[in-house]
Amino acid sequence: MNRQSESVRVIGATVWLVLACGSPVAAQDRAIAIRGGTVIPVDGAVIPNGTVVMRGGKIIAVGSNVAIPAGAEVVDARGKYVMPGLVDAMTSLGISSSDMNEASDPLAPQLRISESFNPFGDFGSGQAGPLRMKELLSGGVTTMYIAPADAAVIGGQGAVVKTAGPTLASMIVRDPASIDMTLGEPPKKAAAQRQRDPATRMAEVAMLRQMLVRAQEYERNMVATPTLPRDLAMEALGKLLRREIPARLQANSPGDIRTAMNVAREFNFDLIIDGGAAAQVHQAALAERKIPVVLGQVSHPYVSNEEIPDKSEYPPVDEGTAAKLTAAGVKTAIASFSRAFGSLAPAGSAKWLLLDASIATGYGMSETDVLRAVTLVPAEILGVSTRLGSLTTGKDADVIVLDGPPLSIKTWVERVYVAGELVHVRQR
Amino acid sequence: MIAIENLPSDRPRRRRDMVLALCALGALSLASPRLGAQGVLVVRGATVHTAAGAPIANATIVVRDGKIAAVGRDVAIPSGARIYDVAGKVIIPGLLDEHSHIGSKPSDLNDRPMIIGPQHRFIDALDLDDPSWKVAVSGGVTTVTTGPGSGENVSGMAVVIKTFGTDLARRIVLEKGGMKFAMGAKRNDAYPSTTMGVAASLRQYFIKTQEYTAAWKRWDDGDKKGTPPARDLGYEAMSEVLSKKVRARAHVHSATDVMTLLRLKDEFGFDLTLHHSTEAYKVAAEIARRGVSAVVLPLGPRIGVAEDAMSGPAILWKAGVKIAMHTDHPVIDQKWLRLCAALAMRYGLPEDEALKAITINTAQIARVADRVGSIEVGKDADFVVLNGVWYEPGSRVDMVFGDGALIYDRSTEGK
Repeated sequence: MNRQSESVRVIGATVWLVLACGSPVAAQDRAIAIRGGTVIPVDGAVIPNGTVVMRGGKIIAVGSNVAIPAGAEVVDARGKYVMPGLVDAMTSLGISSSDMNEASDPLAPQLRISESFNPFGDFGSGQAGPLRMKELLSGGVTTMYIAPADAAVIGGQGAVVKTAGPTLASMIVRDPASIDMTLGEPPKKAAAQRQRDPATRMAEVAMLRQMLVRAQEYERNMVATPTLPRDLAMEALGKLLRREIPARLQANSPGDIRTAMNVAREFNFDLIIDGGAAAQVHQAALAERKIPVVLGQVSHPYVSNEEIPDKSEYPPVDEGTAAKLTAAGVKTAIASFSRAFGSLAPAGSAKWLLLDASIATGYGMSETDVLRAVTLVPAEILGVSTRLGSLTTGKDADVIVLDGPPLSIKTWVERVYVAGELVHVRQR
Repeated sequence: MIAIENLPSDRPRRRRDMVLALCALGALSLASPRLGAQGVLVVRGATVHTAAGAPIANATIVVRDGKIAAVGRDVAIPSGARIYDVAGKVIIPGLLDEHSHIGSKPSDLNDRPMIIGPQHRFIDALDLDDPSWKVAVSGGVTTVTTGPGSGENVSGMAVVIKTFGTDLARRIVLEKGGMKFAMGAKRNDAYPSTTMGVAASLRQYFIKTQEYTAAWKRWDDGDKKGTPPARDLGYEAMSEVLSKKVRARAHVHSATDVMTLLRLKDEFGFDLTLHHSTEAYKVAAEIARRGVSAVVLPLGPRIGVAEDAMSGPAILWKAGVKIAMHTDHPVIDQKWLRLCAALAMRYGLPEDEALKAITINTAQIARVADRVGSIEVGKDADFVVLNGVWYEPGSRVDMVFGDGALIYDRSTEGK
């Protein structure tokens, strides 16, 4: 009860500060110490009765014997669990369904998903002021990768964003974060509706290859003749070819994953496999080439729009995929792939990312690895692990407090801090 | 997992090694589908949630000829019984899914040109080779109501059927498993294309059914000379709904459509179960007052997953509505029915009610509680052995027994 009223006071204070200062950063100057909880830093051993101190939006101390700065706001976390905010490595949240696919063009690397990103809408607070994607925060997700959906072979540029912040700009962590691509059935289906290419997997790859060849020529020509007209699509692919950003390539069937690896080798770009339902088939090659995999939900790995897998074409569901890939040395994240309109799985919403991932513990994955697969591993895959993914001094103060063990269905996220700001308190 | 032939009397357990050796000799008899010498099987040592009372720790279940012969803590073990020791495990009844489309090709689910087609019988499209059956069993689901889709306002007769076995006749628990209704306009190019249009067309069909029934009653009560009324399979099927011989299962999301169904029920007096029931919680008292049951889903692909809707099952239960969970397979893979109940529990449904919502409540709603839905003497021996708390996503189904036979054993599945 005391904690409840304390939370209310904290929220009240934050609101007051925002109103008084016209800037939400003022609250961060005071240190906050979350004391006495079971601290799961993710990048190190669990600390029973640990303390996490944050100030200025960053974590400044984590440990069992940590000095609490004078004047710090102390949050009593006895009996609670404290861990980094979750990182959902694949979503299309904050993007209305009509803004997910630029269906007019199957090859559109010039598009930036950040320009469809709308945290002010259904998933926002509905009120003026700091941005809060409430559903995601209620599940402890503080960072996510957003991307166009999978109707195009090249859907556009993905981005890494936070789920709360004082301004839209403050929420963007990395943009562009990738060139987002899809192989397999979805682009074929989308094209068939419009009676255009690609109608086959051959055409998908040929179109992609032709586009990449054009980008190589563009690079060469621009170096020789810098006054040539600019082409935004080619510029975007140039970043991929210069390995400034990776390709996120959705591929679920064994053949599509093999094709993705072949094209990445041919054009020498960094590859991340999305979906990866059949990734086990290629796990040795993926491990050797250090190609990470962002898996879909454990309970429902087939996530492409409302696709229900054609059993003749896709491998059967195997909830042990994450465990097996991790054991084989493949950097493997578990993501929700959720979209604005829910998803097909019982735990299909991003707010249940932790709950869905917990299924993997029944299929041979250790609890430690499951927690890493929704925090530090996706942060590494997204290229943001210097800032995010673990409770580590110097990283962003994105911290969640849970009322029980993180992998129990009974457990709720009670408090969420993003950059040291209390942005969600569970209402009972 | 060790299965041993029980020795006469209570020979000490340290003799098990010898027994196992004997077992190896008797492997042929173990491999046969017949159970023990007298068709008796014992599963002992688990905590048993019967769905008919408090959990029983260290309980023994005795199965004879496919039925539960005894369950409890102090149960005599018949001599000659085949014994499964499952100490430390958790047992729950075989799960029931009240809304599923398992055993059907997607192209056979909806006969969309015909908006009202009660003469359709799902059993005529049933595919017993659907690989999903096996997956359902691996999730502990042993009985389902599977039926046509929601592409028509009335789409046909569902069947209540077991998920295992090769003999269709033996698998069927209730052939007339319920008439599927689906609220909402199904086509925008033909009548009815509005919510009110759907209500009017259903009402008209019910009235025509009443007239059809009356015409036949006149014939049956009369001298039966001349030409009898022409038979109409649609009205015949619907007349069984109006006489309550068959229940109505109605796909419905909005509270408005729930109220329309309740009005039609008040007017025509059929037995009604709401399905999906997304906004039913908003009119929970109206539903409870009429004794209507509700089959609920945590979420579907086309439904927003707002937190208040997630609390719907708990709200309905508190209001006194009998609830059951469903997967709508293949929308949600049937094996995750257990997780649907767990989610409802997370959002306020008590643990025992959550379990009832995938077992005995479902059986009662589906009118098959005399045979399935709980671990009680005389019922079919369908139950599930788990390696941990039944509602935790990390727990696994270790074994499934169906009609008293071991129909799934994780230790031999290689997963």
